[in-house]
Amino acid sequence: MKLAGLKSLESAHDDSIWAATWIPANDTRPFSLLLTGSLDESVRLWKADDDVVLERTNTGHSLGVVSVAAHPSGVIAASASLDSFVRVFDVDSNTTIATLEAPPSESWQMQFHPKGTMLAVAGGSSTSIKVWDTSTWQLVASLQIPRPESSKPNDKIATKKFVLSVAWSPDGRRLACGSMDGTISVFDVSRGKFLHHLEGHLMPVRSLIYSPSDPRVLFSGSDDAHIHMYDAEGKSLIGSMSGHSSWVLSIDASPDGGAIASGSSDKTVKLWDLNMRAAVQSMTNHSDMVWGVAFRPPGGAGVRSGRLASVSDDKSISLYDYS
Amino acid sequence: MNLTEEDYLIQLKSLEELADSHPDDPSHHFNLGKLIWERGEEWRENAAQHFLMAAKLNPQNGEAFRFLGQYYSCVCGDTQRALKCYQRAVSLNPDDSISGEALCNLLDREGKESLEISVCREASGKSPRASWAFSRLGFLMVHQKKWSEAVQSLQYAIRGYPTCADLWEALGLAYQRLGMYTAAIKSYGRAMELESSRAFAMIETGNIFLMLGSYRKAIEQLQHALEICPQSACAQYGLASGLLALSQECIRQGAFSWATSLLEEASEIAKSSAVLAGNMSCVWKLHADIQLTYAKSFPWTEGGNLKGEDEFSRSILSWRKARQSAALSANCSYQRALHLAPWQANIYMDVAVAVDLECSLQESQEDDLSSWKLAEKMLLGSLLLEGDNHEFWMALGCMSDHRALRQHAFIRGLHLDVSLASAWAYLGKLYKEEGESQLGRQAFDRARSIDPSLALPWAGMSADMLTREPASDEAYDSCLRAVQIMPLAEFQLGLAKLALLSNNLLSPEVFGAIRQALQCAPWYPESHNLNGLVYEGRQDFQSAVASYKLARYALKTSTFHLPHSHFSDLSVNLARALCKAGNVQEAIRELDDLKERGLLDVGGLQVYAISLWKLGKSDMALSAAKDLATCVPTMKLSSAVASICLICSLLYSISGAGPTINSILQMPKELLQSAKVSFIISAVDAVDQSSQLQAVVSSSRRSLSSKEEIMEMHLLIALSKVIRSGYGHSISVQSGIDHLRKALHMYPNGISLRNMLGNLLLSRKQWENDHVVRRCCAVVAFDPMKNDFRSAYEIIGAEAVACHATTSCKSKYSLSTCKHHDVQGSSLMRLMQRRFRLEPWNHNARYLLVLNLLQTTRQARYPQHLLDVLKRMTSAALTSQLFLNNTFERYKRFQLLLCSSELSLLDGDTSCCVSLARDASNLSLSDFYTFFAHLQLCRAHAVEDNHTRLDEEFTQCLKLRTDYPIGWISLKMIESRHKPQNGSTPSDSGFRDSIKEMKGSESSWLAVYSLFCGLVSQWSQDFPRAEEFLAEACSLEATESCFFLCHGAVCMELAKMQHGSQYLTMGIRSLKKAQWISSIQLPFVSLLLAQAEASLGSKLKWDISLSLEWYSWSPETRPAEVYFQMHLLALGSDGSDYGDPLSWVLRAVHLNPSCLRYWRVLRKLASSGNS
Repeated sequence: MKLAGLKSLESAHDDSIWAATWIPANDTRPFSLLLTGSLDESVRLWKADDDVVLERTNTGHSLGVVSVAAHPSGVIAASASLDSFVRVFDVDSNTTIATLEAPPSESWQMQFHPKGTMLAVAGGSSTSIKVWDTSTWQLVASLQIPRPESSKPNDKIATKKFVLSVAWSPDGRRLACGSMDGTISVFDVSRGKFLHHLEGHLMPVRSLIYSPSDPRVLFSGSDDAHIHMYDAEGKSLIGSMSGHSSWVLSIDASPDGGAIASGSSDKTVKLWDLNMRAAVQSMTNHSDMVWGVAFRPPGGAGVRSGRLASVSDDKSISLYDYS
Repeated sequence: MNLTEEDYLIQLKSLEELADSHPDDPSHHFNLGKLIWERGEEWRENAAQHFLMAAKLNPQNGEAFRFLGQYYSCVCGDTQRALKCYQRAVSLNPDDSISGEALCNLLDREGKESLEISVCREASGKSPRASWAFSRLGFLMVHQKKWSEAVQSLQYAIRGYPTCADLWEALGLAYQRLGMYTAAIKSYGRAMELESSRAFAMIETGNIFLMLGSYRKAIEQLQHALEICPQSACAQYGLASGLLALSQECIRQGAFSWATSLLEEASEIAKSSAVLAGNMSCVWKLHADIQLTYAKSFPWTEGGNLKGEDEFSRSILSWRKARQSAALSANCSYQRALHLAPWQANIYMDVAVAVDLECSLQESQEDDLSSWKLAEKMLLGSLLLEGDNHEFWMALGCMSDHRALRQHAFIRGLHLDVSLASAWAYLGKLYKEEGESQLGRQAFDRARSIDPSLALPWAGMSADMLTREPASDEAYDSCLRAVQIMPLAEFQLGLAKLALLSNNLLSPEVFGAIRQALQCAPWYPESHNLNGLVYEGRQDFQSAVASYKLARYALKTSTFHLPHSHFSDLSVNLARALCKAGNVQEAIRELDDLKERGLLDVGGLQVYAISLWKLGKSDMALSAAKDLATCVPTMKLSSAVASICLICSLLYSISGAGPTINSILQMPKELLQSAKVSFIISAVDAVDQSSQLQAVVSSSRRSLSSKEEIMEMHLLIALSKVIRSGYGHSISVQSGIDHLRKALHMYPNGISLRNMLGNLLLSRKQWENDHVVRRCCAVVAFDPMKNDFRSAYEIIGAEAVACHATTSCKSKYSLSTCKHHDVQGSSLMRLMQRRFRLEPWNHNARYLLVLNLLQTTRQARYPQHLLDVLKRMTSAALTSQLFLNNTFERYKRFQLLLCSSELSLLDGDTSCCVSLARDASNLSLSDFYTFFAHLQLCRAHAVEDNHTRLDEEFTQCLKLRTDYPIGWISLKMIESRHKPQNGSTPSDSGFRDSIKEMKGSESSWLAVYSLFCGLVSQWSQDFPRAEEFLAEACSLEATESCFFLCHGAVCMELAKMQHGSQYLTMGIRSLKKAQWISSIQLPFVSLLLAQAEASLGSKLKWDISLSLEWYSWSPETRPAEVYFQMHLLALGSDGSDYGDPLSWVLRAVHLNPSCLRYWRVLRKLASSGNS
């Protein structure tokens, strides 16, 4: 497996780019779009295959955009800003479908349910995951991380368990969220029940992703510069990969499940071979922290090759060929 | 052909006639025969005669022969004749599949396989379209296991019958046997596509995947196959072995519980396949393999929620039982397998392994060395059958208890295969046990060079390195490799121990390893102990306590004997964790217990002293410290240093600086030569006024070596200089700043130095220099150091608030005249947001963001969208701040409350505003700050028009006083607007007091004050006084363009009111000065100047100034008046330099249609244009 740099677009936004994801292709639009969110308070859509071409700029947020998410149908997408204002919009027409409000610091990473029925939002200082129904846009569940028994009522629990990241399992039955103290909590979605913690990280867990090939396997990236691989059901740590020299800010699993990519504040993007449990490649084309990496989902007309996009504080978007 | 009887008879008749009339024409006979043949069985004989006739007449008619062949084989049963006829038919027409098939069937029945093959060969040789022949040949070749020929024939055949699943399946099989697995998978896949219920293809595909190691795909295929035919032992066998392989993969990664669940499933399937095919030894062997793996990997998962010893031992017992029963079941199944196939040597070894595992789980020690162990005996069985298999020798070597026999076995293994890495590794282990470390190392080295993917040699090397003192990092690395190759509890425990020695306890590899070790060796006290240490390293003291307790239970229940020191170490660990977790009472109980038994060592004493101190028993703590001090000279250096640090800190916190200094002076000098001690002594020295420690401090500072340590020390020195004469005093802050400047000159990269310098500069409260702060603080994108002092972000954020220079990115809102205006200024909001994004849980980051946002909002004249954001941010910040323990926390809350109150005032919600400000005033802060809360209340009441309350608050403000001049000015503003009734006026003295402290900025504050007084006079229409005040302001602060602008404007007003022409010249002077000073083009200045020049009669200067005015506005902010003035310019100019005056007026009217003056001029212009 290999990454080959295709294109690096400097000054894609006016300021740091903080989030990136791909909007899958669908019947009306036979190609995937890249969605990026930036500190310049805008969200941009890019047509990215061999070149990166701006499709549209969405404005409307009042502070920097911290997270973007795309519905699996490719029709709608969501963006969240620092003041916890989530805007859900139609991808092709940019009409606002819903706005979800939470107290500031209670919306971070977001992810749509694999079937698209729900949207999970990492609830920051509320120490919970908020789950929204995507047809009525009502809050259907708030999965709370339980307080540890030993804690006193005025313990700084909101800080310790501050939820930064969230991930759906591929079958949609489990939700995992990563906290500031390095623990990952796993929930049973249908029963709305907390199952267990996954331990091993020492510092905030900023990114989570389930393996697309093994529904038990969960990858996590943390500020302690490690990428962990957990058996999320058996609550055991089954692999720990080191190689970044600083915080791991974002990870994504390749669609074939054989590799993961990670972006770090050491300014590199690394590709990890899961069989070798090691970084096989390190891209150094960014000149500042890499906040987002995303593999293009399969599908779309005439699309054979894999693509990886990375976005960074240096305002640039990089596109790689993954094979 | 469904002919009616009548038709048939008619046809028959006509054909018979034809045949009769042309007896030599074979076709008529053939047609007749065909007609009769199709009529039915009983007419066949008749038909055959006609065919015979036709064949005789035309021996080239293959079809006739085919019918004859059918006649002979089906009706007469005369095989020989049938064969001949068919042969003839085929040789005449090789594409005739019916004859060909029939011929082959006949031959097959006779058992003449070679003849069959030759017939097919011949036919296929004659015609490439003889697909029947190819397919027949293909099947035959498959049958005879001639795979490559089969592939050829089958490929040809598939061209003829592309939708025949059988052919694809056969092709797949042929490929599979030839080792072309991907081709085989494709062929099988095609067969399954054509017929979805092809179980054989599915099973074989599964088997291929198993062979290729893609267990998940294999399992999927085989599960599918089992759905189709649930009774297939073959599929079950494949599925079970796939699950076993997958679980082994999991075990290699350390996912024991996952592996266990897979194994349980596998075991069920293997058992049911054993029911189906109970006589296959391999099925039993598979079941046994599964059980054996289960017995080895079943994890102990109960962990932390066990209370009490009984529960622990019960849980261990049940875990052991589960493993034992699995081992037993493995043993039984192996025995069954052996019973079925006693000739298979490896099953003997398997039985031996199972027996050995069972013994080790039961912990039954057979001490009788003279008799053979059962396992050894079974291995002999293997060896008797296959003496030249090195695996058996290796197994013997591993299982035997006799040292000599083991060595012999390993050496025999090496005889058989000299590059047997594992034999070398075990040999190395054996030598190490014997104490022959030289030999052992050689053996490990050799094993590692032969096969670097073997775990044991790495572990062995690691153990070997540990014995040599300095190389513990290397030992850790090689042990880590061993663990990564193979997650064995022994290796993992070793890794944790090495991590403890080499300061790697926090690494996640160690955490994962120790957790896995715990699952496999829960009975071993050391594994709990190490787990506790790892937890402690991670600051999770509750869990550490639980682990140490478990370790102690394990120690009590274990059967083997451990030294007493083990027990005391554990107790000290427990006590330390308890103490750190805040449970001091219990910790002391533990330590008292140890003390009674006389087992309290240095580490214990340290914990003891701290616990006592925490409990408030200072005397006892001191005596413990004394005990510790007596031990110091006999300790190792590192623990001596730690003890000294502890003693000093304890002494200082119990009895203060004096006794601490005395005891430091008494200590032997050579023990103070350490970086850590140096820091402690310097800190003590800092709080000491008499400087008794100077000599000791300077000598101990020599031991500082690294750059980081030296920079830290500089920080400490700077701080000590600051506190020497009382913090907050401007002189002492200055000396700290001076020191830091010098230090920074030496270490320009010292980030902590820079930040500290920024912090001190800010705390000096000399606002006009604050812009320096931004240049000296270094914001590093990623700062791994957790600073105790403020980070650069916070300092810069505070500076931004202090400096008011946060020109937002939209500079059109305001005109910045600050001469220190910085290009970086516009990105400060962004910087704050970035900071908040990095640490969203950080309250300070949010606080600074809110404050900066408020200023941006104010500069932008409160646009609604920013107000909304600000409201949400403020309320969230207020609700998330729960603690008010120290002044800073309270101050932050105070600021947030005022901010929130201001927002509600903007909304017109005065009651809310009042209540928030009231909350703010109730926070116990110093009067200087509380003043502002009351000021806010004054404003709120003023808006309400509530004069009595306003008066109250006003008096309150006067009473509280503040040392912030801006507060006084604001108060004066309220006074001038609302005239409090009670007569008390804020004398200027409050203001004058407040600026006394400020050395550098006194005059500029006075200037501001004069400006304010001038403005007040102007409001009350007292222009001459206003002019005086403003002139004073201009003379006090000659570098601020705004003063001059105001002065100029007031002068112009006076001139207009006919107060004398001297005002006009003064006005022009001031305005020119303003124009000259200002860094940007100030609006109004040129306009006023133009009017002044015009009234002095200089048209040219009026012209220039007015056009300058046009350019000092940005296009979107230009007011209507400027357009109107431009019309005058246009009127005055002769040519068309300035365009049409009418259009200027039109634009002015368009911008401000409410001004009648514009309309008048417009009408005049329009009428003059018409005329």
